Amino acid sequence: MAETILFYALAALLLLSAGLVVTVRNIFHAALYLALALFAVAALYVMLGAYFLAAIQVLIYIGAVVVLAIFVINLTRTVTGAPVTLTRRWVIPAALVSALTASLIVVALLKSAGPAGVPADVSANLAGQDTAAVLGRRLLGDFVLPFELVSVLLLSALIAAIVIVGKDQEEEK
Amino acid sequence: MNVTLTHYLVLAALLFCLGVYGAITRKNAIGILMALELVFNAVNLTLVAAGRFRPQPDAVGQLFALFVIAAAAAESVLGLAIILAIYRRRLIVNADEMDLMKN
Repeated sequence: MAETILFYALAALLLLSAGLVVTVRNIFHAALYLALALFAVAALYVMLGAYFLAAIQVLIYIGAVVVLAIFVINLTRTVTGAPVTLTRRWVIPAALVSALTASLIVVALLKSAGPAGVPADVSANLAGQDTAAVLGRRLLGDFVLPFELVSVLLLSALIAAIVIVGKDQEEEK
Repeated sequence: MNVTLTHYLVLAALLFCLGVYGAITRKNAIGILMALELVFNAVNLTLVAAGRFRPQPDAVGQLFALFVIAAAAAESVLGLAIILAIYRRRLIVNADEMDLMKN
């Protein structure tokens, strides 16, 4: 019962902050609400027994991605003093599209007789183990090829970001 | 009443559609990227929940989510770098004004 209450509280927090991310006019506030939404997702990961993933979520998403977004927001507005308020377009078509998609998915989910009856026993197989150890063994076992590919992807993204952003400084000199 | 897989999937679907709404309505490119992060998180929530509620729960869902996080981090870094580079050259951050390749 406590789990159900916790789930609904986290779901409400997540949807509320996500709605504020996409509607609030101040982009800096939107970034802070994004951090809140990502934190709610991390809490849901804990409820699902994915402790390592929750830690990664906090470290990478909130610690790196949101901070990077805030950096770029500050870099792109303080130079010109441009207003930080956001303009919107196509509000009604976008609301229509996303509402219809949401209702389609939700109705399909509720109508399908999926394995909804699987008990939410968090203390089952996975949660008793150290999820970091389990994931590490799988990553260096049968998932070693995608693991290495991801490391190459991250390295190339790093180099590309340095090249893209650093280019203008050389030209200015 | 227990929390079932359907609860998580419905929540992830709603989060996904909120992200899509934001990606369509935002003009600011950084705002679009932030809405896309919501979409990525909806997908990750689906993967982790589906992996958790399998008859034999194992770590595959979490592994897929880890790869999605890594790809999303690379996407976010490159997207923000491109936004910064365009801003330096042309002083714009709105996606609909980035029309250099239009003609």
